[in-house]
This record gives sequence, structure tokens and C-alpha cells, in this order.
Amino acid sequence: MNIERIHTLLENYWNCETSVPEEQELQEFFNFGDVPEDLLQFVPLFAYKQGHQTMELSSDFEKRLEASIRKAGRQKQYITIKIFEPFLRIAASVILIAGIGISVFFFARQNNQVFAETYNDPDAAIQQATLALEKLSEALQATEEASVKSLEQLDNLKLDWSEIDSLSSGIPLYNPDSNNNIKPENL
Amino acid sequence: MKRTFLVLFILFSATSIFANDFITKFLKECVETERPVSNVNIGKAMLNKMASNTSDEELKTTFRELNSIRIITTENKADSKYYFEKAKEMAFSEFTEYKEVVSVNERRSKINILMKKIDEKTQDLILIALDDDSKLTIITVSGNIDFNSISKISSSLREGEAEEKTTDPGS
Repeated sequence: MNIERIHTLLENYWNCETSVPEEQELQEFFNFGDVPEDLLQFVPLFAYKQGHQTMELSSDFEKRLEASIRKAGRQKQYITIKIFEPFLRIAASVILIAGIGISVFFFARQNNQVFAETYNDPDAAIQQATLALEKLSEALQATEEASVKSLEQLDNLKLDWSEIDSLSSGIPLYNPDSNNNIKPENL
Repeated sequence: MKRTFLVLFILFSATSIFANDFITKFLKECVETERPVSNVNIGKAMLNKMASNTSDEELKTTFRELNSIRIITTENKADSKYYFEKAKEMAFSEFTEYKEVVSVNERRSKINILMKKIDEKTQDLILIALDDDSKLTIITVSGNIDFNSISKISSSLREGEAEEKTTDPGS
């Protein structure tokens, strides 16, 4: 091989200006050619490059890779499912139930309305609201009147309350041990 | 996915439990399309607006203290009697947590008032009334119900109406 060319190629190589075939040419020279003494220092470099370029994966590489992925997956699964998942389930259920419970509690407390408002205008609503309150008041008044009327009717019966009271006080209380109890035929 | 459906189902059930107040249930279960009724709903937001709109201090306080007012009316005599019985039946059979506080059963007017205490300040009230003209009125009021202020409002409103009539003889 032309030493001059090798020098030129080397110079280009250091300047990163060599093509792939030129680099291959250099490699062949340094690995298999008759290398002059002044260029011997570069032999290890090109021998290293050659070694790495010829490196191949072993035939069982894929199998080993798959096995190691499966192993890692199983380990991960084992930790999540066997140890944490039951706790996670319980925690999720507790959070869910507590969340629903709290929401329902506040929903009930706030007395949230589940109906649509009839009016958008407060003045129109006031009219209906006062009408309702008036009706409520009327109902209470009617109750009061009905109670008064019942008392009046009772009054019109002209019952002698004192006589009724004396009747009840004259009847001795029933005593099973006494012979003074009033017999039913004497009533 | 299953979990999502479960959550939605529980939330829906919870909502439907609270959706069953007297008026909602009555409208849903008793009111027939061929026997229509009028329904007015006033919620908390509107009551607050009404409170800020009125100058009457008593009315302002009453509105602020209430959570909702819902009204059902019908002027058809036959429907009124029919719905009055239906409402009473539903109130006594399905709203057993309410206590009957007023019951007037006269020939002309029939009134039933039921109440439920929610807490120290809040009550729910159901009024079912059939008046002299056989007009049905169902009212539910929820909130802090002060009967004294309600009767005061009512009398002041009546006085106001009377004043309007005297000042405007044309009406």
C-alpha cells in the first residue's frame, strides 16, 4: 500500500474528512498490512475499532432479554398485587364511601333545592310568596277560630261543671280490699 | 368502568332520595295530565333577592330565614277535592316523619298543617287546604319559620291592600 496515501488518509481521518470506504481502507492497513514503525502507534486504535465492529450478539441474547423483562415484570406485579393492592382497594373504597357520605351530608344540610325556580323577577316571586304566607296565616287564624267556636259550643251546652266535679269527688276510689265499694246494682 | 358506574349510581340514588320532597313527589305521583295544577317554586337564591328588593324589614327577615316556598294550586272544584284527598293520603302515609300540628275539618274549609323539625332553627312545613270556594292550595315552606312574623306580614299586607282600595276608588 502506498504510504503516502495512508498519511493523506490519516490526516483526513483526524480532520474527520474521511469517507466510510476510506476508513475501512485504513482499518485494513493497520490490522492486516505491513505497518511502518512511525505509524505503529495507531495500530491499537484501529484494532480496537475493528474489534468493536465485529462484535455480535450471542444467539440466546433475545431469549435472555425476554426472560429478564418477564422477571422484572413479575417482580413488579408481585409487589403491587400481593402487597399493596388489597390496601389500595380498601383505601379507595374508604375514600369513595367517605366522599359520598360527606357530599350527601352537606347536600342534605344545605337543603339543596331540586326544583327549578319559577320566576326570574323577584317582584313577581314576592307576590306569590306573600300570597303563600298569607294563606298560611289564614290557616292558622282559621284554626284559632275553630278552637274558639268549639269552646263556645261547649259553653252553650250549659253544663254545670261544679256538679260534675262533685259527682266525681263523691265516688270513692275502688279499693279491692275494702267492703265499702259501690256495687254496680247500686249505681 | 364498573367503579365509575357504581359511583354514578350511588350519587344518582342519593340525589333521588333528596329529590323526594312533598311537592316533587306529589307532582310526580299524583298529578294527572288531564287534571293540571299550577306550581310555583321559590328557592333560596330568589328569596335572598326578594329580601334585598323589599323595604319591609319584617318581610326582609322572613324571606332571609326561609330556604324555599313551593306552591300548588288548582281552581277546578272537582280536581281540588280529588287532589286534596290524594295529598292528605300521601302526607299521612309516606311523610310519617311530619307531625300534624293543625287540622280543621269544617263543612266549608279543610286545613291540614304538618311539620317536621330538621334542627333547632329549621323546620319543614306542609299546608294542605281546601278553602270556601273549593280551591286547593298546597304549600311547603322550608327554613326558619316564625309564625308571629308571618301573621304580622299578613296583617300588614291586608292593611296595605285596604289602603290601596280606599285611595283608589276606581279599582
